[in-house]
Amino acid sequence: MNKQDYILSINDLKTQFKIGKRVVKAVDGVTLNVRRGKTMGLVGESGCGKSVTAHSIMQLLPKAGSIKEGEIIFRPQNSEEFDIAKYRKTDKKLRNMRGRQISMIFQDPMSSLNPVYRIGDQIIESIIQHERISKKAAIKRTVDMLEMLSIPQADKRIMDYPHQFSGGMKQRVMIAMGLITNPELLIADEPTTALDVTIQAQILELMQQMQEQLGFTIIIITHNMGIVADMADDIAVMYMGKIMEFGAKEDIFLRPTHPYTRALLKSVPVLGNGGNDRLEPIRGTTPDPSDMPEGCSFMPRCDLATEKCKNAPPYEDVGNGHMVRCWYAKGGAANE
Amino acid sequence: MATVLASKQKVKKSSLAKRNLQKLLNNKLAVFGLIVVTAMILACIAAPLLTPYDPMKISLSERDLEPSSNHLFGTDKLGRDVFARTLYGGRMSILIGLSGAIGGMLLGVIFGSLCGFFGGTLDAIFVKIAELVSVVPQLLLVLVLSTFLGAGVQNLIYVFMFTGWVATFRLVRGRFFSLREESFVEACRAFGIGNLSIAFKHILPNCLGPVAVQLTLNTAGFILQEAALSFIGLGVPSGVPTWGNIMNAAKEIIVITQSPWLWIPPGIAIALFVLGVNSLGDGMRDVLDPSQL
Amino acid sequence: MLKYFVSRILLLIPMLLVIGLVVFIGLELAPGDPITAMIPPDQLSSMTLEDIEAMRESLGLNDPMLVRYFRWLFNLIKGDMGYSVVTGTPIASIIQNLLPATIKLTFAALIISTIIGLLFGIVSAIKSNTFIDYISSVLGVIGISMPEFFIGILALLIFAIRLKWFPAQGRTDVGLNALQSLKYLVLPACSLGMVLAAALMRYTRNAMLDVLNKDYVKTARAKGLPEWKVYYKHVFRNSLMPISVLLLLRLPMLIGGSVVIEQVFGYAGVGSRLLAAINGSDYQLVLVIILLLSTVSLLASVLIDMFTALLDPRVRLGGDIGGAK
Repeated sequence: MNKQDYILSINDLKTQFKIGKRVVKAVDGVTLNVRRGKTMGLVGESGCGKSVTAHSIMQLLPKAGSIKEGEIIFRPQNSEEFDIAKYRKTDKKLRNMRGRQISMIFQDPMSSLNPVYRIGDQIIESIIQHERISKKAAIKRTVDMLEMLSIPQADKRIMDYPHQFSGGMKQRVMIAMGLITNPELLIADEPTTALDVTIQAQILELMQQMQEQLGFTIIIITHNMGIVADMADDIAVMYMGKIMEFGAKEDIFLRPTHPYTRALLKSVPVLGNGGNDRLEPIRGTTPDPSDMPEGCSFMPRCDLATEKCKNAPPYEDVGNGHMVRCWYAKGGAANE
Repeated sequence: MATVLASKQKVKKSSLAKRNLQKLLNNKLAVFGLIVVTAMILACIAAPLLTPYDPMKISLSERDLEPSSNHLFGTDKLGRDVFARTLYGGRMSILIGLSGAIGGMLLGVIFGSLCGFFGGTLDAIFVKIAELVSVVPQLLLVLVLSTFLGAGVQNLIYVFMFTGWVATFRLVRGRFFSLREESFVEACRAFGIGNLSIAFKHILPNCLGPVAVQLTLNTAGFILQEAALSFIGLGVPSGVPTWGNIMNAAKEIIVITQSPWLWIPPGIAIALFVLGVNSLGDGMRDVLDPSQL
Repeated sequence: MLKYFVSRILLLIPMLLVIGLVVFIGLELAPGDPITAMIPPDQLSSMTLEDIEAMRESLGLNDPMLVRYFRWLFNLIKGDMGYSVVTGTPIASIIQNLLPATIKLTFAALIISTIIGLLFGIVSAIKSNTFIDYISSVLGVIGISMPEFFIGILALLIFAIRLKWFPAQGRTDVGLNALQSLKYLVLPACSLGMVLAAALMRYTRNAMLDVLNKDYVKTARAKGLPEWKVYYKHVFRNSLMPISVLLLLRLPMLIGGSVVIEQVFGYAGVGSRLLAAINGSDYQLVLVIILLLSTVSLLASVLIDMFTALLDPRVRLGGDIGGAK
């Protein structure tokens, strides 16, 4: 594949938090390639660093967090590629990128909108920040966008305040706010976790429709295997700050190779994936991120663990770009 | 079943209290406050050991003396030792501030839990009264009440209690409103635990942290108010030494310029003690609610 | 919104009635015959007991208390506040002379403390956990721990007596231009405002740090807004609601504090007059002043409350009114 086919290439990204005297390695060497125009699902348990990875791409980390190592190469269509990790959080380059080239929507639509401003003003704020445009044209575009997202009476509702919207409607507003500047990449951080199950499906479907119409790339972060099965083209499975397995959706679901991915798939029900199998929880709990085991981080919970696993396993291609971080990925021990 | 639940909660509570205490002792601000407050209270209690002088004893031969090794803070216009007066005055000032705040806290907790638990007309009436009390300048309220009750240490404490319950009341009432919808309260109801028992045994303990913080705020506030009232001559009768009463002398320019030892030591004593109480309160707040940091 | 404002103003009426009643009862219980407070003292001396009893009847002083209360209230509103028993001057004219001075002092203190408090609070929040933040936090907690009058005395000693920058005592408007009379205001207003400034600073800092953790601030940054815009439009604007609630709670303390500060600086306002009246057992004057100051406090509170409501669309649009509290 050509380098230009990847809109985003993350190489050995390390993001750390300093809490008092403790250092927490939330992201510890993530390497990822995101295909242009496709959807990549980043899955893992809570606390595995998937959200921090997303925030690192936007450089929207809280004060205590910072990128320590690695690069995040972003390749916009019509301008030079650049390494996001090289710039400071407040750099103008990143400000121009945020909201214009890369947009992000968050988990909780209830708290993601400022309660004291009108919906319309909050969306328009994004356009005006990045484009020279008349207020009237900006309003027109906002209304059009909200209509595309099936918000009824959009021309009236832009005058409303967030508390007058339901949760699902607020998330539509957030999506509108993200897409209004026609970005190339949309990062959705658990976009449906806070919503009702019935609304979840609507929101995901809307995101897919918009992607078909506008052609942007999506990185969707979730702990829900069902959502990635629905949405993603590629899937990255993350555990303790590292990518454990990466591959096309079919590879991950049909040929899961890393013991963690297998355990993860067994622990959640996925529609059409053998209805009679019993669900098995993953034994043990995630280790303390500030006190990580040497070697493979999944070792304490892994059924296949041996002496060998006390050394960090390599991140290897087992065929067709299907990457696995496990000593037994090729040896066959994992392929019982 | 109910006893199992109650005892289980008790175990958890005591360990939580222990953990919070540990956290409090790790908080520099709180430790600073605690040390200042304890040291000053001890010094005031131990006043007879720290100074040979009687704070009330007038000695016309020793009037208006500058600070010296004999009289650490000098003497006032009537020859009374200012160091002794500051120590003994501290007893009264702290006593008034603390008992006013504790009394106000008790009233606030009782009214707040009743209103918060039962709501309705009772609640509506108390909310209106609270609004009224909080909107009238407290100093003026004290003035009106002391015209009814007359001046005096006890009356001043009553007045502070009467004006000081409002903040605690609001706090407890608000916590009750949110907590009574929680499922553990429903669980209590399902077990057939009585209303009063739910209110005071199960909900109230959840409010005590903020109430304790409010207690420090009120103590600080009342000590400042007592000082202000006594300074203008309307607080404690002038015979009883309090920090405010000692500073009363500084109403004259000549005292301000010529005898700074008459008003600077009690002024610093007030500021230091209140600083200690406030630091303790800040530290407690940090421990109870780290997000407020 | 209009509905909210109207209800807020209507609510004022019963509150004022209750305060008035408390004051009136105080007046009743106070020593002295109310009639002596109603007639100019020079006329009083030439009246016989029968005259006074007749007058008592004709004035309705034998009516039930509530009737007399409302009559007293109406007289008050008309501006007939009775006479000071001590000086014999009509209370209305005393008030007329002194109330504006006190309001000027309190208002100046309010402005000063708001500016200082907000400024330092904002800087502390932006530079949180730096040296600047640390210093202003320490100053803040010291500030709220100082008695106002102690600050006042220190300011008097340093700036008026030692440095001679400002006059030490008094207030007079006669024969002075605006600048000169302003000089009399500076020290009292600053001393009065300092405690509130410290409280506001601490509160502003905490409120802003609180808002900084909100998701919508992240949203604002994700839009690519520059930091100053994030702070100004999304952090500060949203912190204003809790800040104005604090102002609301602290305002009565400011007005109470003015009484003490006027005493320190010999500033001729209703506060120092109030103390003189208390010492002279001039009860009618005392209670009228207390009623007036309470009313000022009440009115100002309602104004701030309305301002808070304006800031919050949830209240403004007639939704949940409790949300503003």
